[in-house]
Amino acid sequence: MSVAADASNPLIAVRGIVKDFAATRALDGVNLDIRAGEVLGLVGENGAGKSTLMKVLGGIETPTAGSVSIDGHIMNLRGPADAQRLGIAMIHQELNLVDELTVADNIFLGRERVHVGAGRWFVDRAVTRAGAWKWLAEISADIDPDTPVKRLSIAQKQMVEIARALSCDARVLIMDEPTAVLTARETTALLAEVRRLRGRGVAIVYISHLLGEVLGVCDRVVVLRDGRLVTVVTPGELGTGHVAEARLASLMVGREMADHFPPREPSRPGVVLEVKGLSVAGRVEEAGFTLHDGEILGFAGLIGAGRTELAEGIVGLRRVAFSDGGGITLSGKPLKIGDVRDSVEAGIAYLSEDRKGHGLVLGMGVAENTTLAALRGFCRPLIDRGAEEVVTAEYVRALSIRVGGLRDRIDTLSGGNQQKIALAKWLQTGPKVLILDEPTRGVDIGAKEEIYRHIQMLTRRGVSCIVISSELNELLGLCHRVIVMRRGRIAATLDGAAATEEGVMYHAAGVGATDAMGDA
Amino acid sequence: MSDTPTPSQPRPFRRWLDRLPQWAGPLAALMLLVIYTVAHEFLRGGGLAFLRPENLINIVYQWSFVGIIAIGMTLAMTLGGIDLSVGSLVAFIGGLGIWVMNTVITAPGIIQSVRESAEIGITPDYGAFRAAMAHAFVSIGVGGSEAWGAAAGMAVMLVVGPLAGLLHGVLIAKGRISPLIVTLGGLAAYRSLAQSLVDGGEFRSSSPVIFGYLGQGGIPLFGGLRLPYPVIFFALAAVAAYVLLNRTRYGRYVTAIGCNERAAVYSAIPVGRIKMLTYTLVGLASAVSALLVSSRMNSVSSGQTGLFYELDAIAAVVVGGTRMRGGAGTIAGTVIGVLMLGVIGNMLNMLDAPVYLQGLVKGVVIVAAVLVQRRDGRES
Ligand SMILES: Nc1ncnc2c1ncn2[C@@H]1O[C@H](COP(=O)(O)OP(=O)(O)OP(=O)(O)O)[C@@H](O)[C@H]1O
Ligand SMILES: [Mg+2]
Repeated sequence: MSVAADASNPLIAVRGIVKDFAATRALDGVNLDIRAGEVLGLVGENGAGKSTLMKVLGGIETPTAGSVSIDGHIMNLRGPADAQRLGIAMIHQELNLVDELTVADNIFLGRERVHVGAGRWFVDRAVTRAGAWKWLAEISADIDPDTPVKRLSIAQKQMVEIARALSCDARVLIMDEPTAVLTARETTALLAEVRRLRGRGVAIVYISHLLGEVLGVCDRVVVLRDGRLVTVVTPGELGTGHVAEARLASLMVGREMADHFPPREPSRPGVVLEVKGLSVAGRVEEAGFTLHDGEILGFAGLIGAGRTELAEGIVGLRRVAFSDGGGITLSGKPLKIGDVRDSVEAGIAYLSEDRKGHGLVLGMGVAENTTLAALRGFCRPLIDRGAEEVVTAEYVRALSIRVGGLRDRIDTLSGGNQQKIALAKWLQTGPKVLILDEPTRGVDIGAKEEIYRHIQMLTRRGVSCIVISSELNELLGLCHRVIVMRRGRIAATLDGAAATEEGVMYHAAGVGATDAMGDA
Repeated sequence: MSDTPTPSQPRPFRRWLDRLPQWAGPLAALMLLVIYTVAHEFLRGGGLAFLRPENLINIVYQWSFVGIIAIGMTLAMTLGGIDLSVGSLVAFIGGLGIWVMNTVITAPGIIQSVRESAEIGITPDYGAFRAAMAHAFVSIGVGGSEAWGAAAGMAVMLVVGPLAGLLHGVLIAKGRISPLIVTLGGLAAYRSLAQSLVDGGEFRSSSPVIFGYLGQGGIPLFGGLRLPYPVIFFALAAVAAYVLLNRTRYGRYVTAIGCNERAAVYSAIPVGRIKMLTYTLVGLASAVSALLVSSRMNSVSSGQTGLFYELDAIAAVVVGGTRMRGGAGTIAGTVIGVLMLGVIGNMLNMLDAPVYLQGLVKGVVIVAAVLVQRRDGRES
């Protein structure tokens, strides 16, 4: 099935790879060639086996059967160190940074820059910092190398991950959903870098659920379904624009794809949530907005615009200050900001953008995570495990979550399926106001549609939603109005005809858009 | 399609292994130990001394005091915490309880002795506080009563233990001090308190009969055997903690906090309250243990009682498969861990191992037991 025949000497040749996890067959005889100087796209539904295949190449998972050859020699990768030695660098789907270390130290973790000569036992701070600057600048990331990673937003952390992978000077660079949390500006910079690397003969594997991106940058695209390689196509074969995306999506899911934004229903006039003059020290300044009954309100902005911080402030995860006359009212009553528990009690749920760090308890099972925020409803007074499983099974069906068993540990799920459980957890709290921060991060195109439909169904039932997303299409297709934030302030509220891609970009970057790009 | 099992199932033995509960390893080790001991005894011509019911009951009896604490420790360690103060707390609580009990029972004597000292102009044997307590007990009509004395002593223990635990919990949850530090402080402080109450000596009970009942008595079984009450308390504690950890909201939250505290905060879990409750429960376990151990000996040595309980309890918990980092705890494992420590000691005695080498054997077994459990390599 592979079109490898025409390439005489692939850098990496994957042959008959099978990977079993207990009862799950994640990969089922995959053959694949990766050539120097090409960008190879890898697409497939959540749980199709993309990350697992890449982990095999990265030496993290040992295949049950099959072989990997590099430069024509069969290699037995025993760990990430082996892969690194062979020139394979990897950006994982989930972040793997050490929170307490600085950005620069993280970038060179395990490959510390040391002094020469007698000082070789000591890290050379100046060289480390300069190296970090260089790689961050390469991808236009405006991050100080001396900041501790724990102070960065998730998108900034992703940029650090990318810089780290680039700094390896690898021959093969594997990128597992590098842009899922990045906004258009960072994505553009990253794709430019990818093209530069290709020009230098680096082989790049690019995994993404953003098919437009894949079609734009890749030379060949591999489609995986249920652990099998379905086909390899070149973007040219699929046509252009939305047609090409729709065709690729159909190949992924194995059926025709409809338009993925169901029609919006009008919101109702009543105001559910009103925020006035809210500030979060150093992150958000005097933000104010209203959310109507049954409305889906989008928040757009670049990295560091303060959208997540604003949401975290509203639900009591960050200390907030109000200007005179400011405050939050929920259904007309002033809302006292305490901690998250008060917010949940009051009917506000917040899905965090960081599913690994904040969203899920990775050591626990699927059902345990689903019910965690609404556990009281399952206690009579002992936990009713049966009811728990019924509810979980319901979400698994509704959001087409791919799981082995309902009590399987959540970290055995693929990234996109974990995201769906994180979402289910908050849906289960039955909120009045649902704040979703990157709700479809890493979710495949078919499941996105189901999530959009679910959100709309909720608004019909009287729930109002705030959606923060780095994906402009999602905001424009799903939301009634889009608020654009820039550097901690609300720059514009767009609705109707004004809510266009250009409009959002214009306000997100500011009037002096070129300045904003320039100082990165 | 990955939700239907694939037809070819690789390495069935591995899959079978993966399904076993965490405590299967320790249980297997325990069986091996038992079999080895039995065989050795038998070949030596010693018959089946080890397997005799009184020997087995005795092992559990001796270890039930640590066992009850280990049950509480399992909760703390699942939470991602630890409690080093338990051993000292046992000495302090036990001593304090006996001290109060003695004050009740000997109240008339205390009053008389104080009065006589005053008459002949020497310093009394008892401080003003204790004399005042004695007066109070006499005035409410319980002074001199052995039953009331024992009841008061036990009540004090059951109140002070959880209070001490709550104090730890507050310092950890509200003061944001690491549990290791807080309870390390407790380890030093409580023993010192106990010793200062009796100048480093012993708290000897003035209750000849009643106070010793719980620690020394038991339910008669067949053939003159008795099931000692401490063993029953150990079993009850294990069952209660099992239900708590696996079937209640509290237990679910403990596990969640131990796994990922930040996610727990984001999930609107009352993290502070859960921590305070957990350390309070550890304090309660220490109190029950103190009550039983002081009752059993009918005295408390301020320097020796409860010594190294914290280490034995932690050893039992980790041998049983609970992770030091939190998030995964099994009560069944802890019970097996306690039994294993008991069996090792008993076995070494039967094999006439040199006394001074017993600690070495224990240490090796603990480390080895934890080593073989590391099936999920990445997680440890
Ligand atoms: N450690 C594991 N234990 C058990 N099953 C696993 C494990 N890791 C992955 N799986 C299973 O293997 C399958 C493939 O997972 P993988 O992470 O490769 O999917 P993916 O294509 O990367 O999906 P996504 O788009 O959601 O990231 C899934 O069904 C998943 O549940
Ligand atoms: Mg993946």
